[in-house]
Amino acid sequence: MRLPRLFRTTPFRLTLLFLALFAAAASAFLAYIYLATAGEATRRTDQNITREMHSLVAAYDRAGVDAVNQSLIERAASERPFLYLLMKPDGTRISGSIAESPIEDTAGRGSTRASFSVTDYDSQGRLVKHPARGIQEHLSGGEILFVGADISEDQAYVVKIVRALWGAGALVIVLGLAGGLLVSRNVSRSMGALNDVVAAVRNGDFDARAAVRGARDEFDELSEGINEMLDRLQRSMSGHRHAGDAIAHDLRSPLTRLRARLETAYLDVEAGKGDAQEALAQALEDTDGVLKTFGAVLAIARLQAAGQAPDQNLFDPTDLAADLAELYEPTCEDKGLEFGAELAKNLQVRGNREFLAQALANLLDNAIKYTPAGGAIMLRVRRRSSGEIEFSVTDTGPGVPDEDRARVVERFVRLENSRSEPGSGLGLSLVAAVAEAHGGRLELSEGPGKVGEMGPGLRVALILPRAV
Amino acid sequence: MRILIVEDDLEAAEVMDRGLTEAGHECVRASDGEAGLSAAHAGEFEVMIVDRMMPRLDGVSMVQALRREGDQTPVLFLSALGEINDRVEGLKAGGDDYLVKPYAFAELIARVEALSRRRETGSVQTLLRVGELEMDLIGRTVHRQGKEIDLQPREFQLLEFMMRHAGQSVTRTMLLEKVWEYHFDPQTNVIDVHVSRLRSKIDKGFDRAMLQTVRGAGYRLEP
Repeated sequence: MRLPRLFRTTPFRLTLLFLALFAAAASAFLAYIYLATAGEATRRTDQNITREMHSLVAAYDRAGVDAVNQSLIERAASERPFLYLLMKPDGTRISGSIAESPIEDTAGRGSTRASFSVTDYDSQGRLVKHPARGIQEHLSGGEILFVGADISEDQAYVVKIVRALWGAGALVIVLGLAGGLLVSRNVSRSMGALNDVVAAVRNGDFDARAAVRGARDEFDELSEGINEMLDRLQRSMSGHRHAGDAIAHDLRSPLTRLRARLETAYLDVEAGKGDAQEALAQALEDTDGVLKTFGAVLAIARLQAAGQAPDQNLFDPTDLAADLAELYEPTCEDKGLEFGAELAKNLQVRGNREFLAQALANLLDNAIKYTPAGGAIMLRVRRRSSGEIEFSVTDTGPGVPDEDRARVVERFVRLENSRSEPGSGLGLSLVAAVAEAHGGRLELSEGPGKVGEMGPGLRVALILPRAV
Repeated sequence: MRILIVEDDLEAAEVMDRGLTEAGHECVRASDGEAGLSAAHAGEFEVMIVDRMMPRLDGVSMVQALRREGDQTPVLFLSALGEINDRVEGLKAGGDDYLVKPYAFAELIARVEALSRRRETGSVQTLLRVGELEMDLIGRTVHRQGKEIDLQPREFQLLEFMMRHAGQSVTRTMLLEKVWEYHFDPQTNVIDVHVSRLRSKIDKGFDRAMLQTVRGAGYRLEP
């Protein structure tokens, strides 16, 4: 048999477990109280009957058996809560409030203490047994004296306390169960909502999101966590989904070109028109081009799919930029470009040094490629007031019109006037992918503006989040 | 030079074998990691070319096993995986260099020959001498025919690398990797410009050009 859903929830089970522990502890507590109070009652009664016995024995020693007899008769008639019995040495009754001793005297001398019960009739005339304690002593003249006391009242008091405690325990258990059910229902409702989201995602609905109630509790935290995870997964999945298509698409065109070139060359050689060696050299060069494109496409796809650049370390971005500046400066000079570097000191950035180096190299490659001789290129590293680290490359080339800036970052987009230049059209896309894989972004803006034939130029900034 | 080729792609191994043999080397082939391990045990090699992904025993495990046994033969890893962390992993496992497939054959030969020289220069040298060129590694000075040549720090490093591999072809990628210690792929001819500056310093005014361009491969410093 399956329990109702509510009874199977974790909070409810925890409540039950807690209540069981509570009941066990309460039982032990009650047992202790019972033993302690009941023992106390017996001890007090024992003390009282001993005192009574002592006073009677003192009377006996002072004035003999008759005085005791007299005293017994008086005391039995009074309101004292004791039972008395004075017996001859053979055990026959001399006087007292009971007929015979409830204590079986085995020793035949000294004093014997024992528990027993007295029978009585209650207010409704029913026979009841009361617990009692008694002491029996052989007097110096051979007579036997018994003193006892009913302890039922004391015990009844103890029983009352214990009953009250039981009642309180039962109340706590009932309230605990009710509270547990309430909490369980609440929790299981929240968990149910999360489970629904998980089930939806399992069934392929990646748009499902958990509701955040705004209570800022751990359920909201969990919901937010799940939602973020789903966002991330969704991005990564669409990255993967597109990566395959994109690679196929991106490589098809250069491969088609390569094939066409090989075919033309083959036909030319066959017709005795062309030079086989030159055709092969050309084909090799084309193949290298395809491989370069492939490498770039793969790097972009992997970065996009991973969502985060691998092997990130803390390092000084200035060192990196200085290396790149040193590497590229002679090339700029050779091309008649003025090269400058403004590198702020004491910066730190977290990232993959190789990927960032590749990104900066791409930016510098682009700047060199598109800036005509006589122009200038500036590499900068600085910390923005927001704490972000900004690498930027500014050139005085023709720039990119405002409306095209978002587009040039896309893969294989090459603007009309740059089609004559060599290149795959993947450079900026890779830089954008590197920026994204570091939690950063790419910003394109106008360069220093138009100066004569030059400009307006382009400024590309790679902005990385503040290193924590 | 005796070279062990451990590669499960038989055609690729064949092409490598032929090319290296033509370049004057002697090659032994093994088609998986286990065979590679026994071949390495059986013979002395100056360089091993090891593919990373192979059946039975992969390249990394094979090289790790060799290194544990104390075999320090230089290893060039070949891999179809081009990620930076794959390279780091390969070098950590005891590889000495790493080449991503597909590669230009000139690149492979240049790297293999560069590796073979590594062992000979194990001891600490303070003076490098190649033909008329003399490099003082402590005083950081360079002389050709007794005439001092003034070099920038990076040019000095570049020349030091070329001198340590004198007579061998070194590729642009090798220079970027070993001298600048970056592994990216520049679109422009940045390395060529650096080399040509170095060349103008060491060859200008002398009757013979020592720093030569090797067509389709890179550069070579001729003694």
